Amino acid sequence: MSVVDVCTAAVAALPVGGAGLSAMSRTAASHPLCSTDDISEQLEELQLTLGEGPCVDAFARGSAVLTPDLLTTGLQDHWAVFADAALEAGARAVFSLPLQKGAISPGVLDLYASIPTVLDTEELADALAFADLATLLLLDTRIDETGAPTGGPMPDGCFEDLGAYRAEIDQASGMLTVQLGVGIEEAFVRLRAHAYAQGRRLADVAADVVARRLRFSPDAEPDQDEEET
Amino acid sequence: MDQQLLAKTFVELADNLVADFDLIDFLRLLTDRCVDMLDASAAGVLLADRDGKLRVMAASDERVRLLELFQLQNDEGPCLECFRTGVPVIVPDLGTATARWPRFAAAAQRSGFGAVQALPMRLRDEIVGALNLFRTAPGPFDPAATPVAQGLADVATISLLQQRTAERSTVLNEQLQTALNSRVLIEQAKGKLAERQGIDMEQAFTALRGYARAHNRRLADVARALIDSSEPLTDLGS
Repeated sequence: MSVVDVCTAAVAALPVGGAGLSAMSRTAASHPLCSTDDISEQLEELQLTLGEGPCVDAFARGSAVLTPDLLTTGLQDHWAVFADAALEAGARAVFSLPLQKGAISPGVLDLYASIPTVLDTEELADALAFADLATLLLLDTRIDETGAPTGGPMPDGCFEDLGAYRAEIDQASGMLTVQLGVGIEEAFVRLRAHAYAQGRRLADVAADVVARRLRFSPDAEPDQDEEET
Repeated sequence: MDQQLLAKTFVELADNLVADFDLIDFLRLLTDRCVDMLDASAAGVLLADRDGKLRVMAASDERVRLLELFQLQNDEGPCLECFRTGVPVIVPDLGTATARWPRFAAAAQRSGFGAVQALPMRLRDEIVGALNLFRTAPGPFDPAATPVAQGLADVATISLLQQRTAERSTVLNEQLQTALNSRVLIEQAKGKLAERQGIDMEQAFTALRGYARAHNRRLADVARALIDSSEPLTDLGS
């Protein structure tokens, strides 16, 4: 499963014509990752080129930006160039959902519809769930960079963060920023990489970190972290 | 009951509402004041997320947070019952509740609690969560304290729902989503600070909140500044 599959699934499940996903960052250049059709692709490109639009706002604010109708009075002032360009491209409603987990915010999921559209409560809940899944998938693509084994089947519960909330996972990520001297996103990726590599549940690894039974060291290979005795 | 403290609490809660609203900070203030005023040893707040599943949003200490989680995991306990029925659940002696909630009663007693009451957070027909008060010693709850606790729960509920517009549930949904993300952010910051200072999560939270209050900042903003290392935050946890 990849972020493309999430976009495809979102289009199938929601009253939207297309979906696109862009990697966003406060420090590095943003870039489109995938889109399900030409209009979505144009919307992603437009926003990143113009530096304005619902996706840019959703990323900056850290909350969903829902635009049921781009012809709504005032919007053309707010997104002076984007609103007209998006209408021109064939979009009428645009929904931008930030991908985020606390301070980790790797991108934005954009959905569009070619007619004015309001997402009801359940549809919005589904859209948010797709955004959550896309967040983890996007971050997991970075596990390759850590050298942890990939390609095999993901262990059970690799998306357990999507279920019952475990504060320990976030606390452990925060602790790893100090132990590894890295940012929060990298720390979370390393925590997940370790869980995959060891075939353990993420919550259990996190609990060990929080209880200070497990320390990560910047020098050690991710699958050889020293267990404190 | 300390009338002065009660008055001060309502002023504090109201202040929180008119200022830049931080749900997590607000709920934590609520649990702390319940403990200070209401003959409770610990308090916790659970709110329903977008799927209608309860989540622990605030707890006056780590022990009660774990106990609330235990209820959710085992799908039994006064809080869940209160949330499902929308009516208060009051158990003056947990020793009598072993048949009703075998696992929860045992876990609560292991954590040192003898009595519990769960009050619904509801507005008209909508139940958004529950406020739980735990007490170490078994025995009847002060009949004057329960309505005050319910009043505090009601204020919290109204605050949660205050920004609703025509598309009310959609807005609530987003607000809760934002609040849940703030919660994640604060947990990440607690972890970073705990590791940096060699302190536990509870001490880290106290330090973060103390800093936010002393500098008149939102807790979530201080948490983000810490995570992003975007500010020196010099007197934090030192």
